[in-house]
Amino acid sequence: MEEMHSVEEIDFYDPEYYTNRELSWILFNHRVLNEARDKSTLLFERLKFLSITASNLDEFFMIRVASLRDMVHAKYQKPDIAGLTPGRQLELLSVAIHQLVELQYSTYNRSLVPKLKQNGLQIVGRHEDLTKKETVFVDKYFEENVYPVLTPMAVDSSRPFPLIRNKTLNIAALVRKKDIGEELEFATVQVPSVLSRVVELPADGKMRKVIFLEEIIERNMHKLFLNYDIVCAYPFRIMRNADLTIEEDEAADLLKEIEKQLKKRQWGEAIRLEVAAHCDKRLLRILEEELHIEEDNLYVIDGPLDLTVLMKMYGLEGFDHLKAPKYTPQPVPQLPPGCRIFDEIRKGDILLHHPYQTFAPVVEFIRQAAKDPEVLAIKQTLYRVSGNSPIIAALALAAENGKQVSVLVELKARFDEENNIVWARMLEKAGCHVIYGLVGLKTHSKITLVVRREEDGIRRYVHLGTGNYNDATAKLYTDIGLFTCSEAIGEDATAVFNMLSGYSEPLAWNKLSLAPLWLKNRFLYLIDREKKAAQAGRPARIIAKMNSLCDQDVIAALYSAASAGVKIDLIVRGICCLKTGIKGVSENITVRSIVGNFLEHGRIFYFENDQDYEIYCGSADWMPRNLERRVEILFPVDRPELKEKLLHILQSQLADNIKASVLKPDGTYTRASKRGRQAYCSQEAFCQEAMAEAKRMYREEEQMTRTFIPETSHGE
Amino acid sequence: MGIRTFAAIDVGSYELTLKIFEFSGKNNMREIDCVSKRLDLGSDTYATGKIGNEKMDELCRTLNDFSGIMKAYKVENYKAYGTSAIRETENTTIVQDRIAQRTGIKVEILSNSEQRFMDYKSVASKGESFRKIIEEKTAILDIGGGSIQLSLFDKDTLVSTQNVRLGVLRIQDYLNRFAVKGSQMEEVIYEMAMARLDTYEKLYLKDRGIQNLIIVDDYLSPWAVKKSGGDSSKAVLDAEDFERMFEVLRSQNQEKIAAAMDIPQERVSLVFISAVLINCIAELMGVKRIWAPGVTLCDGIAYEYAEKIKMFRGEHDFEEDIIACAFNISKRYMVSRKRSEILDNIATTIFDSIRKIHGLGKRERLYLRLAAILHDCGKYISLVDTGETSYQIIMATEIIGLSNQEREIVANVVRFNHSRFIYDVQRTGSLEREAFLVVAKLTAILRLASCLDRSHKQKLKGLRATFKDGQLILTVDTQEDIILEKGFVEDNADFFEEVFSVEPVLKQRKLF
Repeated sequence: MEEMHSVEEIDFYDPEYYTNRELSWILFNHRVLNEARDKSTLLFERLKFLSITASNLDEFFMIRVASLRDMVHAKYQKPDIAGLTPGRQLELLSVAIHQLVELQYSTYNRSLVPKLKQNGLQIVGRHEDLTKKETVFVDKYFEENVYPVLTPMAVDSSRPFPLIRNKTLNIAALVRKKDIGEELEFATVQVPSVLSRVVELPADGKMRKVIFLEEIIERNMHKLFLNYDIVCAYPFRIMRNADLTIEEDEAADLLKEIEKQLKKRQWGEAIRLEVAAHCDKRLLRILEEELHIEEDNLYVIDGPLDLTVLMKMYGLEGFDHLKAPKYTPQPVPQLPPGCRIFDEIRKGDILLHHPYQTFAPVVEFIRQAAKDPEVLAIKQTLYRVSGNSPIIAALALAAENGKQVSVLVELKARFDEENNIVWARMLEKAGCHVIYGLVGLKTHSKITLVVRREEDGIRRYVHLGTGNYNDATAKLYTDIGLFTCSEAIGEDATAVFNMLSGYSEPLAWNKLSLAPLWLKNRFLYLIDREKKAAQAGRPARIIAKMNSLCDQDVIAALYSAASAGVKIDLIVRGICCLKTGIKGVSENITVRSIVGNFLEHGRIFYFENDQDYEIYCGSADWMPRNLERRVEILFPVDRPELKEKLLHILQSQLADNIKASVLKPDGTYTRASKRGRQAYCSQEAFCQEAMAEAKRMYREEEQMTRTFIPETSHGE
Repeated sequence: MGIRTFAAIDVGSYELTLKIFEFSGKNNMREIDCVSKRLDLGSDTYATGKIGNEKMDELCRTLNDFSGIMKAYKVENYKAYGTSAIRETENTTIVQDRIAQRTGIKVEILSNSEQRFMDYKSVASKGESFRKIIEEKTAILDIGGGSIQLSLFDKDTLVSTQNVRLGVLRIQDYLNRFAVKGSQMEEVIYEMAMARLDTYEKLYLKDRGIQNLIIVDDYLSPWAVKKSGGDSSKAVLDAEDFERMFEVLRSQNQEKIAAAMDIPQERVSLVFISAVLINCIAELMGVKRIWAPGVTLCDGIAYEYAEKIKMFRGEHDFEEDIIACAFNISKRYMVSRKRSEILDNIATTIFDSIRKIHGLGKRERLYLRLAAILHDCGKYISLVDTGETSYQIIMATEIIGLSNQEREIVANVVRFNHSRFIYDVQRTGSLEREAFLVVAKLTAILRLASCLDRSHKQKLKGLRATFKDGQLILTVDTQEDIILEKGFVEDNADFFEEVFSVEPVLKQRKLF
């Protein structure tokens, strides 16, 4: 009784109990960096992970840091859930990011570069280190390939400081007029992004050698400014505020507004300046002044700027033994190639686990719907779609075949706007009804509805997923998909699209929960139900897997449930504002993060529900933006064998001791302990299982028949 | 296969709704889609008598979208009905034409009594739950934008129905115009309602002892159904539920109410008005339970269509309801029930015997019965000018389930039963050719029937009618003298012959 009493008094919203989301994100990027630092990771994979940390950090700057700076400019003082004001967050972040960058480059310089050399690839870091023969090669390369695409710019009193584009690599130089010159002038040239930044030099025996493009340009700088002497030249790079804040209420035509914003994006305020180490002090001062950069936002880099270039390095021919063997997504046993997908779905719900299982049936689903004479309508939400998407082609075909095709295209998908506008127009031309998002809300849900007229009436086929309809990322992101023709979900799916088309909400939902109106309450209810079970002395447990956890109401509910005795295991890949191990608050909560070859992306939620467990999948993280400002869908998986499959996924990830890191009470992450256990990598295990399942399927088929089976449909 | 797809469109005063239904086999009706869009046509119409251009554009745009959805489902047939917001426009026909021109959708106008009858049918379509509830004394409160309809049941038959101008949009309009403060709302609505319901109570509610109230509305019902997990049969509220709901509603902050009740914020004030009305009427009747099955006009439209294409047969006999209502009206004007029944009996016997000759159907048979039941109501006012006064009474009385035109047919049949038949229809009213012929035929039958009971002594028992060789032989078994009847039949045979080319002959078979 004593203890129960004290539970009631705890304020689960106390900022003490929360981690700032930005600092938590930095920890996430550290975990990715750890993969690059892990000696057991294959060398070229390490390059890739390092490159990912760099592109992650770029995005983080453009969005999160930029947004915090906007708040500071606007004198917005409200503290976050951890009690930090925007200004204070920026201070802490500057320290954390400088440390991160230092670690990135020490990994590069001390581990990767020497290791690459040992393995037969030498990176020539400075053009000064080229051999005579090589200088002849690079100079020729410069004149033939590089020179024609360069636009050198000099600055003097008559010419304004040139526009430096966001994220581009540039070389700044101090120059002096030949003969008469005394005064130093500033000049700059952009390293052209149309050319590969990694240039391979003629092989020197067994050793392969590469040099970065900027070194070649630097070496040939004098050819760009013929009347000048080059005093010094160094590469630099800036990052600008790029978060699009579209005033949706004011924008009469959302589409046009985004096009306008896209043009503006390049001219945002500079928020980070990266310069090469040992950069000339005078040159640095000019850059700092012209770009209005403060000390905190200056990053002096010991190595090549913009490590995303390492992805290019990864792409070099050869070195296959240093790259992870490419995994081929396996066929789904219930949906063998060439099957009639609608027939198979009618036999029962089908769960897909990407990328272990192929995404092809999802594309095929829409393709078959497009051609099927009985299909009346296809409706789909599209968030991020690959270039040249087969889904878009299938939708266009369906419209041309006279089906009613409605597509909700989310134009507000970050960084993808340009891409989205192009194909949205294409769909419109083909006769699809295109909805360009909803005012004030991002549509993040992933749902497809196919309405088919069958002998016994209208039947609806639905695909629900945790990942985007993107056949390219489906090879890299781990996601869950569900095919069903359950009437209850079919009705809900129809209602979802009616709502997305601007019609009223349905009287009630059968199975689905939608954000922003109902989802958050649904989660709070499910968590509270576990709490009540625990209070009643019944078994109570929550396992939840997601990308990020930072919604304060949800976290407070989790604390409250945990303090009542609910056992909670969270698998959170990225940001986690929840703290573990707080006495009387979160001792019952564990948090682990899995960072592996595939990007963990699926959201799966398990609730014990008094020994009759329920399991849900969805598109939403437990983040305010997902629960309050986006259209998201949470769907239950009901069939027992599919529930088991999902539970198996969660349990495997909880057992992972290779790619998992565990959040400690002190706020740091450490690798999961292997002590006394067999090494177990969940992603690897899923690959094996998918292959075994597919093999079983083929074996069964072989046993069943010895005749040849002609292909009846013209699939790819 | 025998699957039929049907679309029902309700152009309501507050909302446009499209429902797609699928009928497969007997009594298998499935709603496969429902889209609705808020469009407040009512406040324009009620305030100015016309629909503004902006709303008209929005209406046509939405109907065009509906038409697209119907096409996608390959809908075979549709019915689109406009209710009070369209009905009460001054230029209804022009509005209908503009919609048809711009959207290709033909919107028909429902009279109030037809609309309420359909709502009522949609409640009845709930089958078991409906049957159970009307075993006890029950009232239906149908709340619309412009008016409300109160219908009472007695022993599972509808006995009376009245329209009261207390629609939620109309009330909201008043509240806005009078700038009523939030805290006074409830009281003002209550007072307005009571003022209107005062007389109603005295006329209809005396000692009725009503137990249940069924609610049909677009405001509170959706919430009630949602609260019961989407199961309309469970959307039953008792006094306690109501009290709890009012506690939320009285909290006066629209945002909070919307969140607590999980309804769109724009609906809050209409839900509030609806709730106060329901509360007020429940109190007046002293009901114990309130059932809000969440049915809509679209359900009724589909039900009616399904009946028409014989894909559906409900258990409840709606014709009996209409007949019962008619008896109640005639009771109010002190028409002898017995005589009405006799006349009804004779008239239908004649009707049925010459079915091949008159070629009329089930619906017309109903008009004849109504005319027979109501035939003498005018005597309440004048014994001389009975035809005219009966006509006036019927035209001013709402008979549930009848359109205005149908009511006019019944009223005319009653009128010409008493007075000279007027051939020039153009002068008698707005009846069209078809309707005029119906009036003529039914008048002939009713006149003949009246002759057979001229003495009002119900002498003619065991009437049999047979059609043979161009003669309608009416045989009666009676010991009494039927001189009077015979004479009247001969006198009136002309009109009957004129209409049907059949000579009626009265024969007596004396049984010893």
